[in-house]
Amino acid sequence: MEAGRASIPLHASALEPMPGARGRDRSVGWLFAGTGIAVFVLMGLLGLTMRLTQAEVLSVSPAWFYRLMTLHGAGMLTGALLAAMGMLWFVLRDTVRLTLVKVLWSYALIVGGVVLVIVAVGVGGFATGWTFLSPLPFESAGEWRPWAADVFLLGLVLVGTGFLVFCLDVLMATTSAYGGVTRTLGVKFLRGRDSNPPPPAVIAASVVSIEGALASAVGTTVLVALLGRAIDSGVQIDALWAKNLTYFFGHSVANLIIYLAVGMVYVMLPHYVGRPWKTTKPVVIGWMATLVLVATAYSHHLYMDFVQPGFAQYISTTASFAAALPVAVVTIYTGMMLIWGSSYRWTLASTLLFLGFAGWAIGGSAAVIDSIIPLNFRLHNSLWVPAHFHTYLLMGVIMWILAFFAHLLESGAGRSAARMASIAGPALMLVGGYGLVAAWYVSGALGVPRRYAAHFGDTSGYSVIGSVFTVIFALGLLVVLVEFGRLALETWRRRVPAPIGDSAGEQPAGRLRPPIETPLQLTVAVAASVVAAAALLPPIVDASEVSAQFHHLAHSVYFFFGALVAVAVACTPPMFDRVRRWSYGAALAAVIVAPTLMLFAMIPSLYEEMERHEALHALYHMGLITLGVITGLGAARLGRSVGRIVFVLSVGMATMYAAGVTGG
Amino acid sequence: MFVVIVIALTAAFTVVALFSRESVPLERVQEVGYRLRRGWLVFLALLGVATVGTSLFFLPYAEGTRPGETVKVTGGQFYWSMSRTSFTEGARVRFDVTSADVNHGFGLYDPRGKLLGSVQAMPGYRNRLDVTLSTPGRYLVSCLEFCGVDHHRMIRYFKVVER
Repeated sequence: MEAGRASIPLHASALEPMPGARGRDRSVGWLFAGTGIAVFVLMGLLGLTMRLTQAEVLSVSPAWFYRLMTLHGAGMLTGALLAAMGMLWFVLRDTVRLTLVKVLWSYALIVGGVVLVIVAVGVGGFATGWTFLSPLPFESAGEWRPWAADVFLLGLVLVGTGFLVFCLDVLMATTSAYGGVTRTLGVKFLRGRDSNPPPPAVIAASVVSIEGALASAVGTTVLVALLGRAIDSGVQIDALWAKNLTYFFGHSVANLIIYLAVGMVYVMLPHYVGRPWKTTKPVVIGWMATLVLVATAYSHHLYMDFVQPGFAQYISTTASFAAALPVAVVTIYTGMMLIWGSSYRWTLASTLLFLGFAGWAIGGSAAVIDSIIPLNFRLHNSLWVPAHFHTYLLMGVIMWILAFFAHLLESGAGRSAARMASIAGPALMLVGGYGLVAAWYVSGALGVPRRYAAHFGDTSGYSVIGSVFTVIFALGLLVVLVEFGRLALETWRRRVPAPIGDSAGEQPAGRLRPPIETPLQLTVAVAASVVAAAALLPPIVDASEVSAQFHHLAHSVYFFFGALVAVAVACTPPMFDRVRRWSYGAALAAVIVAPTLMLFAMIPSLYEEMERHEALHALYHMGLITLGVITGLGAARLGRSVGRIVFVLSVGMATMYAAGVTGG
Repeated sequence: MFVVIVIALTAAFTVVALFSRESVPLERVQEVGYRLRRGWLVFLALLGVATVGTSLFFLPYAEGTRPGETVKVTGGQFYWSMSRTSFTEGARVRFDVTSADVNHGFGLYDPRGKLLGSVQAMPGYRNRLDVTLSTPGRYLVSCLEFCGVDHHRMIRYFKVVER
C-alpha cells in the first residue's frame, strides 16, 4: 500500500493542502514550479559542464563556454523567478482576487522570452553573460551574428514584461482587497489606525510588486535603448548610465526572487508548525525597509566604477548592510521561533523548507561581506560572487521551490515522501551544495576571477573539488526527483476533477478609486500640465537644437503632457464612471505597451527623417502625445494605487532614456 | 571572519532543529524570543555601524589621496596597453584606466599571485587607482569584467625592480 511507505508521523495539518489556489487555479502552482524545476535541472547541467571544463575534465571551447555561461545565468534567474512567481500567486489566490488569465499571460511572455534567449545563444552564438553590459552586445569580436543581440535583448524585454504583468496584477489585487497602498503595506496598522492588517504574504507580495514594477521599467528602458543601438549604429549609450540601469534591473530581480519565495514561506511554514505567522509591527517595518533598501543597494555592483558618484557608493554600502536587518531580525528569526518547540515533523517538504532558511542566512552573510567597499575591492568579480549568490539561490530559493513542489505532491498523494528519500535527498544536496560553494568561497578569497573559460593559474583543483560536490548535489536532487515522480503518479491516481470557474475564496474587489480624486489633486494636475507646456517645454525645445539628450527630454515632456491631461480628464466624475467599466486587461496592456513604444519612438533613425518635414514632425509629436494619452487612460482605469505608480514609472522611463541616450 | 559566521549560523540552525521536535507553548517561545530579539537587533545594528563606518576610512578611491606617477592604461578586446611597464620597488603609482571598446576590469595581482584590487575600465570614462608597488617581481594585470571570447586571455605583465 502506498501509504505504507510513509513512516514519518506528520503534523496534524501537514497533509492537508495549505491555503491557496483551489480547483483549476492549482494548475498555476504545478505549471510555474514545475517549469522552474525543469529549467533549473537543465541549467544546472550547463553549470556542471562549465565547472568540469574549468577542471580540465571536459574540453569545451571558450566560445561555447561563454554561450553556456550566458544561457546558464539568464536561464537560471528566469527559471527561479518563474517558480517563485507561481508559488506566491498560488498562496495569495485564496486571499485576494487574482486572475488566471493574467498569470498565464505572464507565463507565456516569460517562456517566450526564454525561447528567444535560447535561439540567440544556441543559433546566433550570443555570449555577453546575462549582464549584457553596453556596448558588449555590439562588439562581438566576430563571435555572434548581429541579429543574435537583437533577439537576446528582445527576449529579456519579454521576460521583464511578463514580470511586470504579474506585478501589476498582484498589486491591483492586493490594493483592491485592502483599500490602497498604505493599508496594504500595513502603514495604517503601524500608525494604530487599522486593527485588521493584511497577512504577511500580502504585504510581501505588495512590496515585491512595487519593486518589481520599478525594476521592469528600468530594465525595459535600458533594453530598448540597446535595441535602438542595434537598429541605429549612430546611437550612443553612456556606459555608466547603462551599467546603473542594467544592475538595478538585474540586482532587483535576483533579490526579488528571494522575497517572492518568502511570501510562499509565510503561508507554508504555519501549515507545518501549527502556528500562525501574524502581521506584527516588526514585520511591517521590515518590509517597508526592504522596499527602500532593495532599490538603493544595487550600486554595490558599481563599487569598482570609481566615477560613480560617491554618495551612491555610501548609500549602497549602508543599504546593503541594513537590508540584512529585516531578514535576520524579523523574517528568519521569526521563522525559527515558529519552528522552535512546534513538534516539527521532518518530512521532505518541511526539511527542504528549513534548509532554505539556512541557505538564505549563510548566502546573505557572504553578500554583506562583499558589500563592504574595501573588501569588495579584493573580491569584486572573483569567485566569491557566484559563491554567495549560489548559496542563497541554490541552497535557499531552490530548496523552497522544491519544498513547495514536495508539499503539492505530498498533499496530493495523501502521504509523505519515503523516509529514505526524505533523508538521503536533502542530505546529499546539503553536502554537495555547500561543498560546491565552499570551493568557490576559498577560490574567491584567493582572488580567482569568475567567468573564465579556463582555470586561472594553478587553481583547477578547486574546480575538480567543486565538480565532485556538484555531482553529489545532483545525486541528491535525483533522489528527490525520483520520489517526486512516485508521488506524482499517486497524485494523478487520486485526482478529482477540478471545478470549472475561478477557485473559491475569492474576495470581492474594493471600489475602484481614481488616481486623481479631489478638486485639489485635479487642480495640481492641471497646473502641472500648464507648467509643463508653458514653462518647461520652451527652454527644453531650445536646448534640444544642440543636444540629443534635451531633444529626447522634449519628447518626454510631450509624453508626460499627454499622459497627465488624459489622467486628469479620465478622473473627472462623469468620465471615470465610464472608465471604470473599461476592460482591465486592455488597461494593463495599454500602460505596458504604450510607454515601451514611446521609447522605441525615440530611436533617432526612426524620427530623424520625419523631423525634416514640418507636417510629419508635428504628426510625430502628436504620436508621442497620443502614446501619453493611452498610458494616462490606462493608468486611470487601474485606479488610485496602481494607476499612480504606472504613471510615475512611464514618465520616469522617458526621462531616464533621455538622460542616457545620445547620438543618432 | 566568514568562517566564524558560518560556524555560528550552523550552530544556531542546528540548535533550532534539535529543539523543533519538542512541544513548547508558543507564548513561552515568544516571551523568550522577543526578549532576545531586541538584543540581537541592537547587536547587528551596532555591528553594521561599526563595520560600515570603519570601512569608509579604507576606501580604494584615488581622488584626494597622494597621487603618484600616472600610468595611462587602456583596455581593449583583448589587450592591455600601458604607458609604462617598469617600476621601482615602493613606487606610488596612479593607474589612469579607460577602455577602447567595451567594459573591462583592471585586476592587479602582485608577484605572489595575491589580488591587490581592481578597477573598471569603461569606454568614455577614466577610473583612477592609486597603488604602492611594494614587492619587487612580476605583476599581473588580468581582466576582471567579462568582455568577450578571449576575456580569460586578456592579461599583461609588468615588472617592479628592487630599489
